[in-house]
Amino acid sequence: MTLSMNEVEATAKRAARGAGYSWGLAEEAGKATRWLCERDVDGCAALAVLLQAFDCAREADWSPLAEGSHWQAPGGNLCPLLAGAALSDHARDLQVGALVFGATLAPVLLLPFAASCAAQSQGIVSVGLPNARAVTDGDALAIDGVFPERAENMEIHMGGEIAAPAARRSRAAPGSDMLQILDRFARRTFAPATEQSRLSGAGAGLSDND
Amino acid sequence: MSGAKTARRDPAIVMRLSRLGSLHQCRLSFMRVLTRRMARDRWRFERRQFDIDNAGVGTAVYTAHGPERSYSLVAFAHDLPDALRSDRVIAEAWDATFALYDGVPDEADIKRLSQNVPLQEAGRVSERELTLSRANRSVRLWKHVVEALAEGRQPDSDQIDAVGYLMRTTAVYGSGKFGAADRETIADRPEMHGPFQVEMLSVYLIRTFVRDLVEHMARARGGGNAVALDPSIARRLGIGNSTGLGMAPYIVNHPVLFGNWIMAREEAIARVCSLAEANDGEVELFRDVLRRAEISVERWRSEHPIQIEKLALLRADLDAIRDRMVSGLHGDHPWRRLIDWAGKALNEEGQELLTSLILEPYGDLVDGLADCMADTRTDTFRIDGSMPVAKVRDLIASSFGWALDANWQERQNCARVWYVSEEKLEPRLGERHEEPLAAYEQPLAPARDAALAYEALAQWDENIPVARFLLKHPEHRHTVRRAQMSRFAPYGEIRDNTIGAQVLPIDMLRAKLSFFGATHFDPRSDRWVRICMYAGAPFPEELNEKNSDLWVYPEAGS
Repeated sequence: MTLSMNEVEATAKRAARGAGYSWGLAEEAGKATRWLCERDVDGCAALAVLLQAFDCAREADWSPLAEGSHWQAPGGNLCPLLAGAALSDHARDLQVGALVFGATLAPVLLLPFAASCAAQSQGIVSVGLPNARAVTDGDALAIDGVFPERAENMEIHMGGEIAAPAARRSRAAPGSDMLQILDRFARRTFAPATEQSRLSGAGAGLSDND
Repeated sequence: MSGAKTARRDPAIVMRLSRLGSLHQCRLSFMRVLTRRMARDRWRFERRQFDIDNAGVGTAVYTAHGPERSYSLVAFAHDLPDALRSDRVIAEAWDATFALYDGVPDEADIKRLSQNVPLQEAGRVSERELTLSRANRSVRLWKHVVEALAEGRQPDSDQIDAVGYLMRTTAVYGSGKFGAADRETIADRPEMHGPFQVEMLSVYLIRTFVRDLVEHMARARGGGNAVALDPSIARRLGIGNSTGLGMAPYIVNHPVLFGNWIMAREEAIARVCSLAEANDGEVELFRDVLRRAEISVERWRSEHPIQIEKLALLRADLDAIRDRMVSGLHGDHPWRRLIDWAGKALNEEGQELLTSLILEPYGDLVDGLADCMADTRTDTFRIDGSMPVAKVRDLIASSFGWALDANWQERQNCARVWYVSEEKLEPRLGERHEEPLAAYEQPLAPARDAALAYEALAQWDENIPVARFLLKHPEHRHTVRRAQMSRFAPYGEIRDNTIGAQVLPIDMLRAKLSFFGATHFDPRSDRWVRICMYAGAPFPEELNEKNSDLWVYPEAGS
């Protein structure tokens, strides 16, 4: 069974919200996961790893202290959504010089935000890990090596070359175990039904036999 | 300044909920955009399959052939006991279920669909399908029409008018829902570029199937005595639609898209109001559609107190318009003067009917705007972190200035909460102070959230890039994004409280449905509305360029 990209985005957004992210970040999670799936990267698996670790933590503990060129989280691990959103917001800083990120969970989720920087500068952005590397021009993405579940450090800088861009996909085929994890988080955003909500919340209750 | 182009109306006037809840269909409505295109491009239609038994159970396939591509409605007819018939989205069985297939399905496709489409949300469709939908009979009218036709006579026109349709859809899902193809996969096709074209095509074909099915059931019952439905009566029948809260969040969640719809209509109004004069043919056409709009309003029935009152106001407005028309549309800038008069003399129902009607003589000026109604920008989601705090505050104030001083703690200002229920994952509206729902709140109160962000931003130096603010305040990211979107979507934000004790979700539903081209809004509660689609439209075998557009306005006796 394959999912539409709309389903991927909706599930990822709800799951991130269910894991305790604020709405703006949950929206970023939806778009980022979709962006990866469209480029043949299993964004759902990466998000599942992240949400299980984050699980209702304080966003501040996982956000970068973005002073200077070395970004790290006060709580130890950077969240790629919070750090990625900040990276995209600070895209101009990247044109001044490279940024170094400290320990980051699910680092592959940072790539859509690197792409956002590339699009804003109309250039190419590279993300280097100890054993992997990704390059994007904002649209195409090329990954060399395997992005781990956690990176000790990453360097993000302008420049690079896209040798073999990832294939584009119109459908996603996440593993059912990963999808179940996301669905479990997503379910937290749904209010349990009560008889009152059933009758008044949807506003109907009339017979349709007329 | 009589020669100057008339400006578009101020969003502060247009985007009030009571006005959005008074919108009427117009030339830019999605159904009319579709029928005009199909006629102009000489679409060809065929009924490829109609295997329905005498109990009304079976499968049918209708294919629409455009210039480059074909689309097929695969219909499954069921024998539904009355006890299971519900137009709630949480129903689990329907009189008929449908998928719109991208192309012409083969037997394997139809078999696959037969195992999934009747289950609706509980089944899965694939990227070959563009929509998934279902419909229930209007029990009363269905029975009457089958009986009449079976006995060799035409149905009673009063009964036809009292209901308006033989079946009503209770959901038409597109855009990748339940496994269907994403909108992005078809958005580049000229015939699907405009919003909701694939959904409107589905409903157009459903209407044809429903007519064929009712005739089939009459033949099954009456045999040689049965007659076909008189084409002029058939044409009067639309497809009903029953819409609940699901649509209300849509217009809040898609500010750029919804803003484009409103802006296209406002631009059309401004263009017509800018015309220095109207010629006799244009005035004649306007008088004709006005007269026919009056017939449509005469046939508009509702039992809901709010709509009964609005209809009374609309009928009074129509009287006033008739009086005003005695003096004609002569002289300088006749449309602008008419609309200025309406702003003082009419209720919002009448004003918005009139703004829609003045567009009718000017297809050349208006219809091209339909191409501007999709959301094609891919960059509006991205936040510009370099924007200074002061500029973000200005953007918030320009959309939500009216909301910044409100006391958002006051009970009546935050009485409601939008949430998604565990059952069927449908949006609902609850009472914040009576039910434990706040933890599940959806971000559908942009005005309140704007006020909170505005206050937080006030603590920061106004020259600091908003990127720094967002590092410390990720909880305002959603609102900062919306504020920046308003640069591209001046009509993107509703200028009213969407969680106040007085909010009427039916206003939001009507705003969206009016752009579909719906008529005869009939609220069933403050959050539930029935409408009619395609009433008066030519059937596929009748469709041509002469009848493809103004069908929405009935002629007396037709």
